[in-house]
Amino acid sequence: MGFSRLAAAMTVLFASAAACASGDKTFERQVPAEAHGVVDISNVNGTVVVSGWDRPEVSVRAELSEGVERVDVSTDHGRTTVKVVQPHSGHGGEADLHVQIPKDSELTVSAVSADVATAGVTGVQRLNTVSGDITAELGGSDLELKSVSGNVKLKGHGQPARLHVSTVSGDVHLEHGAGELEAGTVSGTLVVSLDSARSVRARSTSGDVHFEGKLARGADFDATSVSGDLNVRASADAGYAYEVSTFSGDISNCFNATPSEHGHLPGHTLQGTRGDGAGHLRLKTMSGDVQLCDRK
Amino acid sequence: MSGTGSADERKVSSLRELSPAIEPPRDLWPQIEARINAERRSAPAAQPRPARARAVPPRWLAAAAVMASVAVGVWIGRSLLPAPGPGVQSPGSARASFAAAPTALDVAYVSDPRYQRDRAALMKSLQTRLAALPPAARAKVMASLAAIQRAKQDLQSALGKDPGNALLQELLVNTYQDEMRVLTDIHAASDAGRGI
Repeated sequence: MGFSRLAAAMTVLFASAAACASGDKTFERQVPAEAHGVVDISNVNGTVVVSGWDRPEVSVRAELSEGVERVDVSTDHGRTTVKVVQPHSGHGGEADLHVQIPKDSELTVSAVSADVATAGVTGVQRLNTVSGDITAELGGSDLELKSVSGNVKLKGHGQPARLHVSTVSGDVHLEHGAGELEAGTVSGTLVVSLDSARSVRARSTSGDVHFEGKLARGADFDATSVSGDLNVRASADAGYAYEVSTFSGDISNCFNATPSEHGHLPGHTLQGTRGDGAGHLRLKTMSGDVQLCDRK
Repeated sequence: MSGTGSADERKVSSLRELSPAIEPPRDLWPQIEARINAERRSAPAAQPRPARARAVPPRWLAAAAVMASVAVGVWIGRSLLPAPGPGVQSPGSARASFAAAPTALDVAYVSDPRYQRDRAALMKSLQTRLAALPPAARAKVMASLAAIQRAKQDLQSALGKDPGNALLQELLVNTYQDEMRVLTDIHAASDAGRGI
């Protein structure tokens, strides 16, 4: 059993290496895969496009420019690895990868400058880039996404999941998410729309945060920024207790509550309850302005 | 439970073949009870034990000591240290400032030696790591690091006006954490290029 898998993996590896060594500009390979297996994809430059399908196999199609050494595809014990190999010296080329994977696979993509796009993947996704942009469709499973300077665009279908997104300078746009969100950026902008949120943690240093969505009963919402603005439009059937504080920013709201000052000290706070007050919402900035509304 | 007789050594093919109850060869309880009672009677006459009767594992003591020193450091930072002056850094020197030594307030807030060690190591390799990034990414990351630096200076300056402000203290701690995250991400990102 182990030997036959190893032999299959080696065959695929040698075949793929041979195909590329012959100078082909396109690469194609299919390997059997488990329905709930693991797929790891890595690429430095170019693109990575991943889509989920119902077949128990991984299909790889790549267009390779000059400078790409080869593409390795191997599978072992339910884990399929697709790796674009660059030469050790000199500048590598670009590879445009189109990979189809069983839709329930656990997917990990690592890229440097390559842009990454996923669609139709319902398993857990872990997507990492340095400067490449990421576009992903949320499939109801957890998502862990990290980018240094790449921009991020996420689209869900309102299925609850745990979403963990962080960038250094990249902007984040999330539509129709649900469940739990933890998002952080230094100077990027966070624009988030959640159909139903149980927990939200958003943090920025200088980037603005825009949230629009509905909070589930008892939801916990926490957003902080040093100099970025916070613009939150959060509705909740069961209401929430809110606490807004800023050191030197302005506070405004759509329900005519009046912020209070701290005597002779700088700073403003706004506290109160909307509806039954089942949830908790906290917004904090140093110099960023805060806007709060209880309607979407 | 290991038997000694030849009958016990035969192979058992089913649980049903085992006896539902095995009586011990002799009843030990009367001896145990007598010994407990004897100890109880002699207890009042015994020497009083020191207050530290329950042995505390050394690792808990060490953890408690660390927590106490961290708490003292934070208290010193909040209560005793002079407020820092406004930032005096010119925009052109922002890059050099990333590697600047922590201020007294920094030390007070982040007094964990492991944090200091990790941060120093990340700072040491920062320039090399930045050079490994694609140029466009490098420029954006530099801007983000400058934003963090500005945020720290602004928060420290504001804390100078209002040292007990819990909001500013929380945001400053957040900013320290964000700085570490960015440094770690840059470290990982420059490794990713080599590893892929």
